[in-house]
Amino acid sequence: MSNKYIALPKGISEKTFDSAIGDFRSVLGDAAVLTSAQQLAPYIKTMMPVPDSDHTPSAALMATTVEEIQKIVGICNRYKVPIWTISTGKNLGYGSAAPVERGQVVLDLKRMNRILEVDKDLAYALVEPGVTYKQLYDHIAEHKLGLWLSMPAPSAIAGPVGNTLDRGVGYTPYGEHFLFACGMEVVLANGEVLRTGMGSMPNSNTWQVFKWGYGPYLDGIFTQSNYGIVTKFGFWLMPAPPAFKPFVIQYENEEDIVEIVEIIRPLRISGVIPNAVVIAHALYEAPVKARRSDYVTGPGSIPDAAVRKLAKDHHLGIWNLYAALYGTPEQNEVNWKIVTQAFGKSGKAKILTEREAGDDPAFKYRASLMRGDMTLQEFSLYNWRGGGGSMWFAPVSQARGSETLKQMALTKEILAKYGLDYSGEFIVGMRDMHHIVDVLYDKTDPGQVKAAYQCFDELLTIFSAQGYGTYRVNTAFMDKVAETYGPVQRQVHKTLKKALDPNGILAPGKSGIR
Amino acid sequence: MRKKKSVRTVTALMLSISVAAAMMADIARAAAETNADKGFRWRNGAEVYSKVCSYCHEGQVGPRLFGRELPPEYTRAVVRNGNRAMPPFRTSEIDDESLAKLAEYIQRN
Repeated sequence: MSNKYIALPKGISEKTFDSAIGDFRSVLGDAAVLTSAQQLAPYIKTMMPVPDSDHTPSAALMATTVEEIQKIVGICNRYKVPIWTISTGKNLGYGSAAPVERGQVVLDLKRMNRILEVDKDLAYALVEPGVTYKQLYDHIAEHKLGLWLSMPAPSAIAGPVGNTLDRGVGYTPYGEHFLFACGMEVVLANGEVLRTGMGSMPNSNTWQVFKWGYGPYLDGIFTQSNYGIVTKFGFWLMPAPPAFKPFVIQYENEEDIVEIVEIIRPLRISGVIPNAVVIAHALYEAPVKARRSDYVTGPGSIPDAAVRKLAKDHHLGIWNLYAALYGTPEQNEVNWKIVTQAFGKSGKAKILTEREAGDDPAFKYRASLMRGDMTLQEFSLYNWRGGGGSMWFAPVSQARGSETLKQMALTKEILAKYGLDYSGEFIVGMRDMHHIVDVLYDKTDPGQVKAAYQCFDELLTIFSAQGYGTYRVNTAFMDKVAETYGPVQRQVHKTLKKALDPNGILAPGKSGIR
Repeated sequence: MRKKKSVRTVTALMLSISVAAAMMADIARAAAETNADKGFRWRNGAEVYSKVCSYCHEGQVGPRLFGRELPPEYTRAVVRNGNRAMPPFRTSEIDDESLAKLAEYIQRN
C-alpha cells in the first residue's frame, strides 16, 4: 500500500513508481503529471456497478505531442509501467475515463486537440485525439465547408478518434464510423511512429482518400485494442445534402418489430434509406418527455400496462423508427413514395414528418442526430432511474424480424428478473442490427448496484450461449466478453500483443488482451 | 565491375533522392501542420457554458444553473467530481483558469 499515491500499478513498488513519475515529469513538466487524489478525481468516477476503487488510476499524464508520447512509452518500457490511453474520456457507460485495471497510468490526450486538415473538395478530416465533435462542427461552420458530421449521442463532449477507435456508431449515412475511417498515425510500444495505408509512403497525398495502402490492412488492429497509441486520425465527412427529410414511424405493439425490420431491411440494403436507422422502444424515448415516478413506484421493472399508458400520454409508439432521406428534393420525393408505400401496406404504421412532429422533443433530438447537429438530449435516459448507473448492453443481431423480436424478449425477461427496465433500441446497420440497451440503475442504491452487476453478467452469459455476440462492452466485463469469442481469437490477439508490445505497457486488459 | 559500380552509384543516387524526397515530404507535412489550427483553448466562461454545460442544463437533462447564485467553489467541485449521472470534467478538458471563469459566469447569471 502506498501513502504517496492513491494507487500503484500492479507489481510496481512505490520506489520504482517514484522513478517513473520523476522521468514523466522531466518530459512533460510537473503540471502535466497528476498524482494527487484531488487531481485524479475526474478520472475515477464511472457509471459501472463495481467499486470505483477497482478502476482508480495511479497517475495521469497530459501529453500534447507525438515526441512526448514516444518518450513516455520509453519510460513505461523501462519501468514496466502500464498506461491507459484516453482521448476525450467520455466513454460513458463503457468505463468513462478510468482505466480497465486499478493502478494503470492514464495517458490523457485531450490537450492534443488540433484539427490538422479538413478538405472541402474531398470531404475528409485529419484530427488529433482530443478534438471533440463540437470543435470540429464549429470549425466546419466557421469556414463554411458544407460538410456534415456523424456522431454518437454524447456528441458535443465526445470526439471522432475515441468513438471510432472503440467502433462506436452514429445516425447519418456515415453512421458506421469505422467504415469511414481513412488513415491513422500510431505510436507503437517501441516508440516508432507508423502511418497506416498510404501514409507510410513518403510524399503521398492519398493518406486520407485511399484506405488500403499495400499489403495487409492494419487500421483494424488499432481499434478496440491495445497495440498502439493513435495520434492522428483521418476520416471521411458527408457533403451536406441539398435536402434532408427526417421522419418517424410509430407502431403500437412490441411484436410489430418483426414487420418493421422486414420492411426496413430491403430499403436499407438498397440504399433507399441511407442512414443508420434507429428503432427505439418507448422506454428509450420516454425520459425525454416523462418521469418514471409518474407511472410506477416501488421496486421492480415497469409493467407493460404502464408503458402503454406512458406511450399514449406522450404520443410515442411502443416502437419508434427514426430515419431520414438525404438528397435533392426530387430524389427524396421518389424515395418517400417508396417508403410510405412499404410502411403503409399493413395499416399498422403511423408515419410522421417534421410537419407533424417537428415540435416533439424526441423527434427534435433524433432529427438533430441524423443530420450531425450537437445535442445531448439522449442523456435524459440517466434521469429515468437516477443515481448515475448505466451500462450499455450491445449484442449484435441479424436484420431479420424474428431475430430482433427474440433478442428484445430475452433481454426484457432477464432485466425484469432483476427489477430493471428495457430501455432499448436497434440501430440498423447494412445487414445487422446493433441492439443497444441502456442498463440503467441507481448507483447510490447498493441493492440496485448488485442487481445490475448480476443482470449484466447474466445477459452476457445467456446471449453468448445462444450465439449472440456483444460488439462493445464496459471495462468491468471485457474479459468475459473476450471469452465468448473463443480461444483461437483470444490467442491470436495475445500473439499480436506479444509481438507489438512485449512488455505489456499499453492498456493491458483492454478487450481482454494482455 | 564497372557496370556493377555504376549500378551501385545509380542505386545510391536514387536512395539519396528518395531520402531527400522523404525529408521534403516531412518538411512539407510539418509546415502544413504548423499552419493548421494551433489547438483549442477556451476564451471565457460563457464559451465553456454554451459549448458544454448548456446542452444538458438548458436541455431539461440537468437542473438549471442560472439565477441560483451558485457559489463558485460548489460549481468547481461538481465539475471536477461529477454528481450522480453528471460526468466529471478533467483539467485537460476545462483548465483551472477557465473553470474559475465558468464558475464566476454561472454565479453572475
